Amino acid sequence: MKYISPVILLCCIVLSSCKKTIDLYPESNLNTGTYYSNYEEVKAGLNSVYNSLYRPLYREWQFTELRSDNSLQGVAASNNSLNRDLSDLDMFIPATSQNAIYSYWQDAYYSIRDANIMLQKLGVTYDPGAGTINLNAIDIPISEADRKQYAGEALFIRAYQYFNLVRLFGGVFLVHKPISAAESKTINRSSTADIYKIILADLTAASGYLSSVKFAQIAAADKGKANAWAAKTLLGKVYLTLNRKGDAVTVLQDVITNSGFSLQPTFPAVFSITNELNSEILFAVRYKAGGLGLGSSFGNDFGPLNSGSTVINGSGLGWNTPSTDLDTAFIPADARRAVTISIYGTGTAAELYVRKFLTPVTITNDGESDWPVLRYADVLLMMAEAKGFIPESIGYINQVRTRSGLAVLPGTVNTVPLFEKALVDERRLEFAFENHRWYDLLRYNTTMTSITAEQVIKDYFAHEYLVHYSHYTTPVPTIASLQASVTSNKLLLPIPQHEIDTHTQLVVQQNPGY
Amino acid sequence: MKKSHCLLFMLLLLLGGTAMAQKKVVTGKVLNQATNEPLEGVNILADKQKGGTTTKADGTYSISVDTKTTTLIFSYVGFASQTVVLGDKIKFDIVMVPAATTNDEVVVIGYGTQKKSHLTGAITKYQNDRLEETPSSRLDQALQGKIAGVQIQNISSESGADTKVRVRGVGSIYAGAEPLVVVDGHPVPDGLSFVNMADVASVEVLKDAASAAIYGSRGASGVIIITTKSGKSNRPKFNVKFSVGSKEAYELYPMMTTTEYLNLLYYEAALKAKDPSVAPPTQNSTSTTAERGAYIIEQQLRHGQGTDWQREAIRTANVKNLQMSVSGGSSALRYFFSGGYQNDQGMMYHSEYERFNVRSKIDADLSKKVKFSLNLNPSYIKRERPSVNYIDFVRFQSYLPVYLDEELAAYVRQDPQWADVKAGDFAQARYFNGRVYNGVMPDGSMWVNSTAITPFNTANNTPKSVMETRAIISNDYRVLSSGDLTFNIIPGLDLKITGSAYVSYRTSIDFAKRNSNRAGEVNRGVYNNNLNIDLLNENTLTYKKQIKQHSINLLAGFTAQKTRTRDEQIIGTDFPSDNIQTANNALVIMPPTIDANGSLGGSYTLKNSVGLLSYLGRLTYDFKNRYLLSASIRADGSSMFAPGHKWGYFPSVSAGWVLSQEKFFEKISWISNLKLRGSYGASGNNRILPFAWIDLLYPANYPIGAGNGSSGAGFSPSREILANEGITWERTFQFNGGLDLALFKNAITIGFDIYQSKTDKLLLRQNTLAFSGAPFSWNNIGSLKNNGIELEITTNNIRNKNFKWTTSANIAHNRNEILELGSEPFFLNSGERSEQYINKVGGPLVQFFGYKTDGVWLSQQQITDAGLSTALPNGIALGGVKLVDLNGDKKIDDDDRTELGDPYPDFTWGLTNNFTYRNFDLSFMLQGVQGGSLVNGDINYQETRRYNSRYTDNRWVSPLFQGDGKTVYSTVGFNPMLTDYVIEDASYYALREVIVGYTLPDKLVKKTKLGSLRVYFSAQNLYFHNASGYRGINTEGRFTSAPFYSTPLVDGYQRGSFPIAKTFTFGIDLNF
Repeated sequence: MKYISPVILLCCIVLSSCKKTIDLYPESNLNTGTYYSNYEEVKAGLNSVYNSLYRPLYREWQFTELRSDNSLQGVAASNNSLNRDLSDLDMFIPATSQNAIYSYWQDAYYSIRDANIMLQKLGVTYDPGAGTINLNAIDIPISEADRKQYAGEALFIRAYQYFNLVRLFGGVFLVHKPISAAESKTINRSSTADIYKIILADLTAASGYLSSVKFAQIAAADKGKANAWAAKTLLGKVYLTLNRKGDAVTVLQDVITNSGFSLQPTFPAVFSITNELNSEILFAVRYKAGGLGLGSSFGNDFGPLNSGSTVINGSGLGWNTPSTDLDTAFIPADARRAVTISIYGTGTAAELYVRKFLTPVTITNDGESDWPVLRYADVLLMMAEAKGFIPESIGYINQVRTRSGLAVLPGTVNTVPLFEKALVDERRLEFAFENHRWYDLLRYNTTMTSITAEQVIKDYFAHEYLVHYSHYTTPVPTIASLQASVTSNKLLLPIPQHEIDTHTQLVVQQNPGY
Repeated sequence: MKKSHCLLFMLLLLLGGTAMAQKKVVTGKVLNQATNEPLEGVNILADKQKGGTTTKADGTYSISVDTKTTTLIFSYVGFASQTVVLGDKIKFDIVMVPAATTNDEVVVIGYGTQKKSHLTGAITKYQNDRLEETPSSRLDQALQGKIAGVQIQNISSESGADTKVRVRGVGSIYAGAEPLVVVDGHPVPDGLSFVNMADVASVEVLKDAASAAIYGSRGASGVIIITTKSGKSNRPKFNVKFSVGSKEAYELYPMMTTTEYLNLLYYEAALKAKDPSVAPPTQNSTSTTAERGAYIIEQQLRHGQGTDWQREAIRTANVKNLQMSVSGGSSALRYFFSGGYQNDQGMMYHSEYERFNVRSKIDADLSKKVKFSLNLNPSYIKRERPSVNYIDFVRFQSYLPVYLDEELAAYVRQDPQWADVKAGDFAQARYFNGRVYNGVMPDGSMWVNSTAITPFNTANNTPKSVMETRAIISNDYRVLSSGDLTFNIIPGLDLKITGSAYVSYRTSIDFAKRNSNRAGEVNRGVYNNNLNIDLLNENTLTYKKQIKQHSINLLAGFTAQKTRTRDEQIIGTDFPSDNIQTANNALVIMPPTIDANGSLGGSYTLKNSVGLLSYLGRLTYDFKNRYLLSASIRADGSSMFAPGHKWGYFPSVSAGWVLSQEKFFEKISWISNLKLRGSYGASGNNRILPFAWIDLLYPANYPIGAGNGSSGAGFSPSREILANEGITWERTFQFNGGLDLALFKNAITIGFDIYQSKTDKLLLRQNTLAFSGAPFSWNNIGSLKNNGIELEITTNNIRNKNFKWTTSANIAHNRNEILELGSEPFFLNSGERSEQYINKVGGPLVQFFGYKTDGVWLSQQQITDAGLSTALPNGIALGGVKLVDLNGDKKIDDDDRTELGDPYPDFTWGLTNNFTYRNFDLSFMLQGVQGGSLVNGDINYQETRRYNSRYTDNRWVSPLFQGDGKTVYSTVGFNPMLTDYVIEDASYYALREVIVGYTLPDKLVKKTKLGSLRVYFSAQNLYFHNASGYRGINTEGRFTSAPFYSTPLVDGYQRGSFPIAKTFTFGIDLNF
C-alpha cells in the first residue's frame, strides 16, 4: 500500500495537465480565434484587407476594358481555352460557368470576408434595415481614433468591392459579417437597391471615421491608406452612378475645396514610379517590386506577346490588347498616348500593347507601378458630369485637357450631345486601361441623354470589324451577329453557375439573358 | 527352466518392490508440433504426488514418480495440455500441439487479454510462427492473405514501399481509411513499416466496431495490435537466423524494339495494299520519317542491336537478413534482446532498403505486488528510391544506346555542336537529331531522303542517365520506448501505469546533379526533415473476480496522448559543384511559397501538436464459461475539434453463448466447440486536417508609407477552406454476428462472421457558396455502409507420428455503398489522364465512369449503318473505339456515359497448407483476389499503344483486316481513357509463398552441441495468375501520387507499375 500515495500524486499531475493536452491551437499559423487582440495585430489584419485588393484587380480588366471599346483579345483565331474565354467576354457571349467570372467573384467576396472579419473584431456592425453602420463595445485595447480609422479603411474596401460587384452582376448576395457555410445557405440575392444601401452606408461612415487631413499634411507613415477624401470621391461616384447628381456635387465639391489634392503638372508624372502617391492619387492599389511577392504582374500580363525580354523582362502575355479604335482616338498632340499605348514589331506583326503599368522588372511579375483607383482628374470630370452642360463644367474638362498638352475645348462644343461626347471622349483617353471605361459606359445610360453603352459597343464592333473580328474562325462572326449580342441584358455578367448549383436550399435567380 | 522362470519372477518382484520404495524415473523429450523444435519449460506434473518438473532447453525431461502415480500431465502456455497414462513404459516423447487448434489461446484485445474461448467480438489472431521466413521486407507484406477481412495490397513492388491495408472495406471518404496500428500498447502510425518481423509474437486484428470501440475515435478502420516477444524464466536461449536470397522480375512489359515496330508497320502496310476499300499506303502513310530514322540508327549505327531499356532499369537484386536474439531470465527478471540487420535491394537500380533494429525488453517482478517492464526499440532504416519512374524506361525507344561506344561517339561528333562528346558518355536523343538518314527499309525498299530528321524530339535526357545523376535517399530513425509499472492493490485489483514515447525522425535528400534532366539545368537539392514525437500516458485499473460460476473482469482507464510534429524543407539550387551536396553551398535558397491551392512550397519549417485525452471502461462477465457478455465505452477528447465539439463517445456491447457447453449438446460428440457471438458498437475516425475548425491566417503583406512604401506585415484567412467550428467525429456503428465451431476434437475449426456497418457524420470537404469567402468547407455530412462476411477454416487433415498435414483457409467478402453525400447526388472526379470516377449515392464509394465500348469501328459501312452523330472529338473513327449509344438517341454525347465498374473485389482469399514429414516440412500459401476492376493508364501513352505488343497484336488495320475486332489501331479515334477500353479485371491469384525446411535430427544436433538447427528454402510469387483481359504486368500495382490519387474518392488507377518480384531465399535458423 505504500505505493498508493505516489500513484495518486502521479495521477493528479497527469489529470491537471489534461485540459492543456487538447486545448491546442495551431503553432505554424496564426488563427482568427486568438489573433487581433491588440493594436499591432489589428493593423496587420488590416494590411491583409488591403492585400485582398490584389486578386480581384488581377482580373477586373477582363470585365471593364475587354468588354468595352478599349481592348480586345489579341489572338483572334486562338483555340487556347483561356483565349476563348476572353474572346467570349469581349463578344458578350460568356458562359455562366466561365472560370474568370467565378474567380473574380470568389476573390471579390474573399476581400469582403477579410474586411468583414476586421469589422467584426472592431465591433462594427451593419443594420440592413436602417442602412446604418454602428459601433459596438469591444475588448481590444485600442484608442477610439485608431479604431475609427481602421474601421473606416475596412468599410471603404468593402464598399469598393460591392460597388464593383453591383455594377458587374447587379443585385448580388449581401454579406456584411463573417458567415459560416451553413449561414451562407440561407442567403439569397439582394436587390440592387439593397447593395447600394450598404455601399452608401459604408462610405458615409468611412467619410466620417477616416482621417481628413489635407494632402500636404498626410503623415509619411499613413501614405497609401484610405482617407476621408478617397471615401468621399468614391461616394461621389456612387451618387453619380445612382444619378443623384446633387449629392455627388456636394461631396465632390468638398474634395475639390478641402482635400488639398490636385492635378499633377504633366500626365507622365501621375504614373511615375518615382512619384508614387502624388497629389493626384486619392487611392491606389499599391505594388512594390523587389522580390517581396508584392510586385505587379500587369507589366508582364499586358506586355506584347512573344516579345522576349525586349519590352519587359520575362516577356509579355499580350492581354488587354488595345483596340485600333482607341489608338486612333488619340490626336498626335495628346501626351497621354505615349503613356497609355505603345507598339511592338512592325508591319503585319505590329502589336499594340498597354504601356501604362509597364515599368522595368528584374523578376517576372514583379512590377513597381501602383494601380490608381481614384484620381483627382476623375473628381474634376465627375464634377463636370454631375453639373452638366454649363461653362463651369467646360472648365473642369479643360483643366484635364491642357495638362496633357491639348487645347481647350473649342466653342463649337455648344450643345448637350456635343458636350456629352466631349466629356465621354476625355474620360476615355484620360483613364484608358484604369478599369473605368465599362463602368463609365454603364453610368452614361442614366446620367446622359445622348450616349448609351449599347450603341458605343455596336459602333465599335463595326469600326473594329475588319482589323479584328473578321479574323475569327469557325464560324466567322458578322457585324450583325456581334451587335446582336450587345443587349441590355448582357450589360451584366452572369451570376457564376457554381453559386447557383451549390445553393441547394434556395433557388437563385440567374441574370436575365443567361 | 521352470525354476529359473520362477527365480526371475521372484527377482523382478523384489526389484519391483525396491522400485516402489525408491520411485521410478520417467524420461523423454517434448517437441513443439508446429516447429518440430524442442520445447523448454514445459510443466510436467504427476498425479497423486507433490512437485513436478520442467523440460530443459533441449526439450528433455526426467521425473521420478512413485508407484501410486498413474498419469503425467504436460502443460505449457499456448499449448494444449496432454495427459499420458503410465504403464510399464518409462520413456514418453510428447508432441505439444499449439493452442491455435484449441480454445485456450489468449488473445490481446486492447488494454488487456482474453481467452479466445471467451471472445464475443470479431478478433483474429495471427500467431507468429515463421513469419520471418517469408521473403518479404515488411511485416504487412508477410501478413498478406493470412487474415480474413484484412486486405493487404502491394501497390508498389519497390523495396520497403508502403502497402495499402484495409480492414473490412473503406469506412471513410476524406478521413484516412488505414487501420490503427498498436505496437505493444502504443498506437504508432507507421507501425507496420518498422516493426521487425522476427520480434513479433502475435498480431491481433480487431475487426468489428465492438472490439475496436475500446480504441474509440481511431478504431473505425479496424485496429491491428502487434505484440512483440518477451523473455521467459529460462537459462539464456540464443537464436540466430540468417537468410540470403535474390529477387527478380516476374514479368516485363512486352515492348517491341524499333526494328520490330517498323517491321509491324510494313507488314500492316502490305495488308492495306491488299484491301481495295482503302487507298494503297504510301511510305509516308504508314511510318513517319522519324520512325524510319530511328530504324536506320538501330539497323546501321547499332548493327541491329536495340537497347532493352527495361533491363537497364531492372536487375536481379540481393536480399539478406540477419537476426539474433537472446532471451531468458529468472523467475523475477526476464529479458529479451534482439538485434537485426536486413538489406533488401530493389529490383530497380538505385532502390535499396536497409534496416537495423535493436529491441530490449525486460520484465521484472520488483516485489510480489509490483511488476515492472521496460521496452526499448530503436531502429534505423535507410532507403534509396529510384529517381525515375519505371514507366519512363518502358516507354523509351530501343534505337538509343545507354552509352556511346567509340563508333557512335565518332558519329555524333560529326555534328560540330557535339564536338566534346566522348565514348562512354550517356547517349542522348538530341545527339541523333537533325541528321540525314538513308537506308533499306523492312520491305527491302531503299529509302532515300535528303532532309534532316529528328527521330526523337526531346530535350530530356535518357531515363538511365537521369537515374544515375539524381539520388533520393531517406533515413528514418525511430525509437519506441515504454515502461510500465503494475501494482497489485488488493487481490484481483491491479493498477497499471504506462509511459511511452515514440520518436521518429526522417531526413531525406533529393539531389539532382547539374544537367540531370536536360542540358543546361542547374543542380538542385531538396532537403526534408520530419520529426514526430508522440508521448503517451496510460493508467488502467483492472479487477478480476470469480464468484462461484460468475466471472467478472472490470477495466477502467485514463489515457493522454500528445503528438508533436516538425517539418522542414529547404530547397537550394545552383551549387558550385555536384560533389558538395549540402545546402550551405547553394547559390540560391528558394523562399517559401503558397500556391493558389494554399499548399506550401519552397523552403519552410512547420510545427504542430495534436492531443488526445481518453477515458475508457470495460466490463466482461461470464457465467459458467457458457454465457458471455462484454460492454465497453470510451470517451475521446481531441484537439482536432473546436471547444464544445472535442468529445466523442464510443460505446459497445457484445455477447456470446457457448452452446457446446450446454447439457443438450453433450450427446453430439463430434462437435467439440460451438459458440454464437453477437456485437454492436461504435467507433470513430478523426483523421482529418487538424484545425479545420478554425480559420488559419497566412501571410498577406501590403506596402504602406511614403515613396514606394515598405512591406507591412499582414495576415489573412485561407482562401480555400472556410472554417466550420461545428465539425466533429465520424462515427461507425457496426453489427457483427459470428460463429465459432470446432469439430472432431478440434480437427476442424471454423470461424464465421457476418457484419454490417454504417458510418455517418462523414467528414466531407464540401463545396461552399463562394460568396461566403471560400469555396470549400469541412462538414459532417454523408454516410456509408459496409456489409460483409468472413470465413476462416483450419483443418488437421492428417496427424500421425511421421506425417502431418494442416490446411488453413480464409475468404472474405465486403461491399460498400454510399448512403448520403451531403445532399449531393454524386461527386465526379478526374484522374491524371482525364479518366473519370464517380461517387454516387446508392453505389460503391468509387466507380469508374465513362463510355461503354463495343469493339472498334470496323468499316465505313458499319458507321453509316449505325447512323450516329457526335460532337465529341474523334467520337466516331474507323479503327477507333466504338462508343455505345446507351440512351438510344442516335447521338453520342455526355448522356451516354455510365458507371463502368468499381475497384472493390468480391472476394479476397488465402489458403495455406503445411506438411511435415519426419524432419522435413513444406508449406505453401496461395492468395488471391476475385472481382474488382482497375483503370489501366498505360493505354494513355502513345509509346504503349505503339510498342507494347499487347496493344498491337491483332489490332484493326483496315476494313478487310479487322484483327480481333476489339483492338484499337494505335492512337486512332476517341480517347480510350474516357471509355471502358481501359477498364480491366483486377482479379488474380498467386502462389505467394513456398517454404521447404529441414530440421536436423537430434542425434546430429547433439554432436554439434547446438539446441536446434533448421535450414530452409523459401520462395515468393513463384506463380502469379492475372485475369484474362488484363494487359499490364502487376495487377496489384496502383499509382497513388498526389494531387489526383491522394483522395479516397479516386481509386483503382495504375500505370507503369513495377514488375512483381519473384524472390528466393535460403535461410538458417540456429538455437543454442
